[in-house]
Amino acid sequence: MSPRGLMPMLILLAALALVPAFGSNTSINFLVSALIVALAAQGWNLLGGFCGQFSFGHAAFFGTGAYVDAVLQARYGVNAWAASAVAIAAGAGVGWLIGFLSFRAGLRGSYFALITLAFAEVLRISANAAPITGGATGLLLKLDARAANFQFASRGVFCLIALTCVALVLALSVWIARGRLGAQFAAVRENEDAARALGIDVLATKLRAISLSAAVTAAAGCLYTQYFLYLDANIAYGSWISVEALLAVIVGGISTPAGPIFGALALHALGEVTRLIARGVTGIDLVLFGLILIAAIAFAPTGLAGLASRLRRALG
Amino acid sequence: MPHPILTRRTALAATAGLLAAPGILRAQPAAVKLGILQPVTGALSQDGELGRLGATLAIDAINAAGGIKSLGGAKIEMVFADARSNPEAATQEVERLQGDGVVAIVGGFASPICLAASQAASRYDLPYVVDVGVADSIVTRGLTNTFRFAPGFGAFTSVAISNLAKLNEAAGKPIKTVVLVHEDGLFGAGLAKLMNAELPKIGLEVLETIPHPTPSRDMSNVALRIRALNPDLVIPSSYYNEFVLLARTMQQQRIRPKGVYAVLNGAASNYRFVKEFPEAADLVMDCNHWFHPTKPLALAVKKQVEAAGKFMAYNVPLNYSCVGLVADAIERAGSADRAKVLAAIASSTFAGHIMPYNETKFVGGQNQGAQPVNLQVQNKDIKVIFPAAFADAKPVFPVPA
Repeated sequence: MSPRGLMPMLILLAALALVPAFGSNTSINFLVSALIVALAAQGWNLLGGFCGQFSFGHAAFFGTGAYVDAVLQARYGVNAWAASAVAIAAGAGVGWLIGFLSFRAGLRGSYFALITLAFAEVLRISANAAPITGGATGLLLKLDARAANFQFASRGVFCLIALTCVALVLALSVWIARGRLGAQFAAVRENEDAARALGIDVLATKLRAISLSAAVTAAAGCLYTQYFLYLDANIAYGSWISVEALLAVIVGGISTPAGPIFGALALHALGEVTRLIARGVTGIDLVLFGLILIAAIAFAPTGLAGLASRLRRALG
Repeated sequence: MPHPILTRRTALAATAGLLAAPGILRAQPAAVKLGILQPVTGALSQDGELGRLGATLAIDAINAAGGIKSLGGAKIEMVFADARSNPEAATQEVERLQGDGVVAIVGGFASPICLAASQAASRYDLPYVVDVGVADSIVTRGLTNTFRFAPGFGAFTSVAISNLAKLNEAAGKPIKTVVLVHEDGLFGAGLAKLMNAELPKIGLEVLETIPHPTPSRDMSNVALRIRALNPDLVIPSSYYNEFVLLARTMQQQRIRPKGVYAVLNGAASNYRFVKEFPEAADLVMDCNHWFHPTKPLALAVKKQVEAAGKFMAYNVPLNYSCVGLVADAIERAGSADRAKVLAAIASSTFAGHIMPYNETKFVGGQNQGAQPVNLQVQNKDIKVIFPAAFADAKPVFPVPA
């Protein structure tokens, strides 16, 4: 992606940074939820978009990040910032492990997707039963809004932190996409055998992709924990986050650095708009949401990023 | 000659006065907005709808009776929010309710929703009244804005066990052995652990603890295991579908222990189960939330609910009562100011509810007057058998063979 191509994204991020200063709490809260999903989606994109390994189980990484962060604080009294750092590392570790087990066994395509789903489910059921995670009653962090606790009295500050994370990962994605690692990812994505023939260590490349991807998604989990201060197994390891991360990327534009951010914001905005339109009948907004989603996928199969570049071509 | 001239200015003033007068006389005091948060889409929608029904009935009743009198008859306006069966959506809705300027929020239903929503509301010192959520952590976090009108998990287990001991004692100790069946999630696992620790203390032997996942589509293995163990009592803690399956399978296999004693069971105190499977439900006991079985107001609400084609599940009376609690607090505060309403709830002695509770008294956000009751399905109806002060039937125990 050229520096000029990044301009709309940078303008968007700068505009979003103004929301905490001028927006209402409702809009800030909306933005934080969307940014957490955007971050998870950026993580998914690193593995699924750049390296071509579709995962249905990014909840495994999101949940690990969220739980490690929460457990360290609630059970061991670790400082929230330190706990978050450990949680991101733990997420990367789980990513590496799942990658090692499944890639080494040669699982590709739908088989890899299914095994990630299975890992996420195993983690969900274990977290639901284990005493350390609080089992099914979940884990609650004490509300104590101080910067040292990674909790803020103003939602705006948290929003800026989430935005910073998203911007950092965007920069990382652009850097990877342009660099040697990105080229290796793309080679593995397009044709594994050809990549191997070129001398690329396919397993190592995939492991790098999944560890990076897991670390970013785990960071999203940490943000979730710090923002909502409550976790249970269905939130942390539930399939909702796997689906949202995947949808955001597909809607936004797969394997483009900015796609996940556009996608997450667009999906969340759509959710809110359909809710405003359809206030009267319970659940009708979800039906509308689904219909618009189907239309979007049917008419913009390359996502919003693809749609934008098609429009640009058509216009000039 | 000086005439009393009607100047233009006087005329204008007079006209303005005349126009304004009816406005002053008939001025409706501004409605008081009350947030009702329920999960009406997603997995918990059935419960959420019942909660909404209870709140709607209460608000209609209060408005029909003249609204908030200390505010000149101000009506209560419901601002409904859909928690969508998950905590993030609930938090988002709390922000919206805050933006809409509600004076308090009632509802939540599930513990995770109540935990997240009350915490979001605490940022604005917005009073939050939990309708059901039984997790004890809801009222032990030190949030000053959060109140729970109904009893929590700890109260349920201790009341359930002490009432079981009393029941067994009164019947001449027919029960010696127990099998625990529990779903492996929220209530089930924790409850089974507590039961395993507490039942031996009242002289009961736990033969086996059988967990099952939710959802389960077949309970034959569990039923066969119960038959093999042949316990005097079965204690199931499952959600609606699984317990219905278990009860039906036990009925088909003619497994008749001396009693089935459920705690916070999804089905044992549900009119739908009693109506659809009267034989399987017969004489099943439960320890749960329930409405006051003899209070005329409670029975009138039940009639209204049935007239609307719904079943009187516990969500309805709990939400009805919680809305009444908040309305009473606004009435006494004489203001829609949140801090005053909060203080009024905290010092509430509200008695206009329809639950079988003693005097309302909040300590640390938990209503000390709240208590679970024991129920039994008798003659295709659900009767309260404990505590004696509220009971409308005597326990049938042990179940006649």
